Amino acid sequence: MRVDVVLRYVGVVMLFIAMFMLLSAGISYLSGMDSAFYPLLLSSLLTALLGAFPLIFVEKREQITNKEGFCIVVGAWLVACVVSMFPYLIWGGEFSLVNAWFESVSGLTTTGSTILNDVEALPRGLQFWRMSSTWIGGMGVVMFALVVLPSMGRSKMMLSNVELSTMAKDNYRYRSQIIVQILLVVYVGLTILSTVMLKMAGMNWFDSLCHAMSACATSGFSTKNASVAYFNSPMIDTILIFTMATAGIHFGLIYATVTGKRNNIFRSEVTRWYLGMLLAGGVLIAVSLYAADLYPTLTASFRYAMFQFVSVVTTTGFATADSNTWTSFAVILLIFGSIVCACAGSTAGGIKINRLVLAGKMMRTRLRQQQHPNAIIRIKLDGVIQENEALHAVMIFIVTYLMFILAGTVFGTVLGVDLTTSFTGSVASMGNVGPGFGEVGSMDNFSAMPTAFKFSNSLLMLLGRLEIFGLIQIFFIKWWK
Amino acid sequence: MTGMRKRVTVGFLSIVCLLFFSGMVSFLELSHLSRDTGEILKANKRNIELAKEMLDAAHEQNIALIKLSVFGDRSCDSLCRASMERLENTLLVAQNEALEKSFLDSLAFATTELRLLTDNYLAFGGVGNPVAAPAAPNRADSLGSRWYSDEYQVLYGRLTAAIKSYMTSTQSSLVPRAEQMKKNAYRAVTPVLISLAVMIAIVLMLFYFMSIYCVTPIERMNKGLGDWIAFRVPFAVKGDFKDEVLDLKEKIETLINLSKQNKA
Repeated sequence: MRVDVVLRYVGVVMLFIAMFMLLSAGISYLSGMDSAFYPLLLSSLLTALLGAFPLIFVEKREQITNKEGFCIVVGAWLVACVVSMFPYLIWGGEFSLVNAWFESVSGLTTTGSTILNDVEALPRGLQFWRMSSTWIGGMGVVMFALVVLPSMGRSKMMLSNVELSTMAKDNYRYRSQIIVQILLVVYVGLTILSTVMLKMAGMNWFDSLCHAMSACATSGFSTKNASVAYFNSPMIDTILIFTMATAGIHFGLIYATVTGKRNNIFRSEVTRWYLGMLLAGGVLIAVSLYAADLYPTLTASFRYAMFQFVSVVTTTGFATADSNTWTSFAVILLIFGSIVCACAGSTAGGIKINRLVLAGKMMRTRLRQQQHPNAIIRIKLDGVIQENEALHAVMIFIVTYLMFILAGTVFGTVLGVDLTTSFTGSVASMGNVGPGFGEVGSMDNFSAMPTAFKFSNSLLMLLGRLEIFGLIQIFFIKWWK
Repeated sequence: MTGMRKRVTVGFLSIVCLLFFSGMVSFLELSHLSRDTGEILKANKRNIELAKEMLDAAHEQNIALIKLSVFGDRSCDSLCRASMERLENTLLVAQNEALEKSFLDSLAFATTELRLLTDNYLAFGGVGNPVAAPAAPNRADSLGSRWYSDEYQVLYGRLTAAIKSYMTSTQSSLVPRAEQMKKNAYRAVTPVLISLAVMIAIVLMLFYFMSIYCVTPIERMNKGLGDWIAFRVPFAVKGDFKDEVLDLKEKIETLINLSKQNKA
């Protein structure tokens, strides 16, 4: 493996991140040179220097191996998390070393959990940096850098194949180079559309841009302590439900639908399951809340239930209500949503509904196979026959995913965190959802959690974002032939 | 400047830039820290000076009024007015210089109260209540002593308490200032620590790049050349060659070929 080549590509990603830091410094300058200006400017310079250094020595290489590709993607994610801490650390405030690391990982992995007790105390520049980091992470730090920065030839295809979810590739009927462009068009387009709609609904430009970036990245970072509940506007809730739900759909399908292609959202089995689950979950929770007399009308129950369920399933984590006070049935449905999450090929994390649909089909096939032992039954998804290897990979992923949640829960309880907080915190971190229940509920944060719990959760966030094996692979790279 | 020299120079310049920036930021933050510390000390000293001046003036007026009201010493009349004026002027200076004016409100109120009482007393020839003792000024009578103990002393006590409270007011503002200083100290240290970490990473990268692009190829060429001279092993060195190192390799190959031709 050529370490110099890996360093060069990681450097390119660093330059891209430095660019966003500089942009945030610009926002800080425009906001009257607030206290985040120097931290952001200095962080930008340091990151740019760190990124540019390998570029001075290592020349562009067209070909990179699979092994190098994995190292570049995982290395870029890890280094991005480290450099994203710089503005927080230099600025100070509530950001200790562990807190800054947690916030940085939470942002880039689009988890949206925070350690901040007073988000509104942050200067605008730093607020924008939080949103930028989450927006970059939404599409994938490497993928974003690849599509924005100058052409990198065939290596672009290699890297996009590594970073893109294995389940996401199915719905793309294009070459890898076009896939990343499609992703960017849909991502930027949705962000702009959402920003304009939120502005029209009554937010100021800064808040609407920040919330649009956060919603499109399915992150859940907000500029307000009370999250979206601060605005208390049904119109804003509706726009954000639309944005979050759209960001949870496969971007290739959105592109195909907008451009009038045959392979669109309405023909996708997975999308039908996804939208059906959102609607069913929202209605069931609404009825449960109304029956428990938590809200005066069914409409109000539906408004809060739908927002919270869509927010959780799409792994966004915005809040308009304190779901800790909801009925047990509603809580269980929300936890289920946090584990299943949205579609592959979107910005959402979690197991992904594609895998769940396949797992369901495998169970049905298993039952039929027992009834008809000689029958050859093929499992199809969207009309495509699924290979046995792919099906095994799905099951292994689900089992490993749940095992990591269990490990995180056990570790939390060892540290003295209560079971509800530990379990839901681990589920929320692994699925990049953000809020859990108990002490890390939708209106709380991770600030009071033990340092080791914050660290273990940030590790779960990275594992969830890189779909477990992407990160684990790096530790066994030496034996990779 | 081309090739390897350019890369090495740019590499070292990056480290110099990093040092410069981190140094500048630390210098800036340390200057803030130094300025804040100086300001706290200066404000504290000035506060004590002004409070002392006010206490002196109040004490002087108190003595003058005792002489006037109890002993009937009329010569103290002007001293009483002068010390009141001194007190008010000092208060005015304090009000102009104070960053946090709320501490001076109670002091200004107590001064005004005392001013009205003494002005009233002096205007009616040293009698506290003009209705009770209209015309004949007899400052040494029991009425004067009663006025002093019943009315003046209460307000005097209130005034001195307000001055003392003002004297300690800078201590109250010490907390936010110390908090600010703590923040500045943190901000002065963190960029340096982060820059150091980045610098270590850059130095390690520089070492690695120098090793794979410069040191290792030269070592290999050296060994290859040695093998050719000693055992006539063909000079076929493999590795990542670039810039001057590549030139050197090509020149060595040319030289070996020339040597072979000469021998033939």
